[in-house]
Amino acid sequence: MIGGRARNWVKVIWVCTILTALYLPILSVLLASLANTRYMRFPHKVWSLDAYRGAAADYTTVTLHVISLQIAVWVVLLSVVLGTLGAMAYARYDWRGRTLFQKMLVLPIFFPQPVLGLALLLSMSALGIAPSWKTAVVAHAVWIVPIVTLVISIRLFGYDVAQEEAAFDLGASRWQVAREVTFPALWPGIFSGALFAFLLSWSNLPLSIYTSGADTPLPLWLFSRTATNYSPLVPAIAVIGTFVSGLVVLALLLLRRVLSRAAN
Amino acid sequence: MTKSPAALSLTGLTKRFGAMTAVDDISIDIREGEFFTIVGPSGSGKSTLVRLLAGLEAPTSGRLHLRGLDITAMPANRRPTAMVFQSLALFDHRSVGQNIEFAMKMKGVAPEARRLRALELLRLVRLPESYYARPVTQCSGGERQRVALARALGSDPEILFFDEPLSAIDYRLRKTLEVELKELHQRTGKTFIYITHSLEEAMVLSDRIAIMRAGRFEQIGTPDEIYRHPTSRFVASFMGEVNILAVSQTPAGPVFADLECAAPEAAGAFAVLRPESLRPDASAPVTFAATVTQKLMLGSRTQFHLRAGQAALIAEIAAGSGASLSLGETARFGFDPADIAWVQA
Repeated sequence: MIGGRARNWVKVIWVCTILTALYLPILSVLLASLANTRYMRFPHKVWSLDAYRGAAADYTTVTLHVISLQIAVWVVLLSVVLGTLGAMAYARYDWRGRTLFQKMLVLPIFFPQPVLGLALLLSMSALGIAPSWKTAVVAHAVWIVPIVTLVISIRLFGYDVAQEEAAFDLGASRWQVAREVTFPALWPGIFSGALFAFLLSWSNLPLSIYTSGADTPLPLWLFSRTATNYSPLVPAIAVIGTFVSGLVVLALLLLRRVLSRAAN
Repeated sequence: MTKSPAALSLTGLTKRFGAMTAVDDISIDIREGEFFTIVGPSGSGKSTLVRLLAGLEAPTSGRLHLRGLDITAMPANRRPTAMVFQSLALFDHRSVGQNIEFAMKMKGVAPEARRLRALELLRLVRLPESYYARPVTQCSGGERQRVALARALGSDPEILFFDEPLSAIDYRLRKTLEVELKELHQRTGKTFIYITHSLEEAMVLSDRIAIMRAGRFEQIGTPDEIYRHPTSRFVASFMGEVNILAVSQTPAGPVFADLECAAPEAAGAFAVLRPESLRPDASAPVTFAATVTQKLMLGSRTQFHLRAGQAALIAEIAAGSGASLSLGETARFGFDPADIAWVQA
């Protein structure tokens, strides 16, 4: 029997271990970006912001972010629209083969991404489509739409479709039913789905490697520059990229607050 | 007696789903201010019927008139009717007040007027005003029932529909809500059309009951008429514990085949006999020997399960009437043929 005091200490130590494991790698990247060495090495002898100056002066920084954002935004839009429609089909209708379709939809998630990326590249070249950031959108969507559909349909699990009938019965028009009942019920799921879609697309490497062609998204650039031609510019851009995605998530959270306030 | 105009008039109302006919050519007038209950087992088409009346489904054929106005093609959101759903279908992401105000909000009623009316409705359904701001998810089962009722009344409907709203509620609360519903009907004077699978519930609530079977009305009548004069075995069996005795024709005249005794003045193929009409009384006009197989104390009365020849019967005797039969005892039971309701099928 462990005493209450000892148990508390175990808890604190456990939580600290988890947090260290989560944040130490990120912290080390931050530290690496502040060095001026050609190799990742600790501890630094010289602290410097040169890498950030370099990143700011280099137009690549902007291009990388623009391409990654472009892909992520389209993936978010695609997956939210398709995911919502798919989730509604589960929640609202009981059709033949529903559970089978549900399983088949989720199957690509289990498919190893590099193989999926290669398969998509092969089918695209068979169709004569040149890979670019647009094909990367399609590739990301193939993997992310099922996940988003799943996220939204989980939120819709307890949704009583009779609420829509009740609203209609109480004099709401079709549009009012959507605005007053359906959308507020869907909204939390759509929001989590959008967040998932953004983060999964933003950090995706294995699909982008095969399908983004000449356009280089952020993770792909980081990967290739870490493997060859490393400089502190790499961790510096990684840190900048983290900040940018953090800002996007923050913007989404703000949007949710504004929307939920407007709804009431 | 002057006949009040029909609040709702159904003419040959029919609904088919593919080859299945859920509602089969129903015609009836429902009177203004009437509490009309449709009773039927699951699959009898009663839910489909009420959805047709509310405008949530379109009929395959037939017409529907509301005070003489043809509303057959009018969608639910334009009909001056409101429904209390089986699942209640409360708006989970809203407060009690917002639920009740929903119909008024859709109509564009000003917020302050909406609030006053909602508070008035809260009082009407006996919920404290403090519930106005409470999320519906924090209400108990009975409170949710009341909110659903207030929300339906919030649209100021001319007719209220109820689709088995009390079916998922425990016995005691259901009894309380039944009484409240009846009082509410009397106070508001509105027409109520109620769906249930419980004839007992229908008896308590209704002015008139329709027994539904396979898309048709098997019998329509006041609770008393249904109780005393069921027109078929189906209706009779719906009342729960009744004795149904088959009559056979013999050269010596009609007999109760199972009881092996004569059936004088048989006016149908089956005799429906209520448990309270059967007594341990050797001087009754019709008597037979029966063995007590079970004895149940029901409080105000005692129920005896009897076996007489091939037949299993139920008799109920008022407590304190002096009958002291014990389990396994054989005695002569009897009844008065005047208490029989004769049915053909």
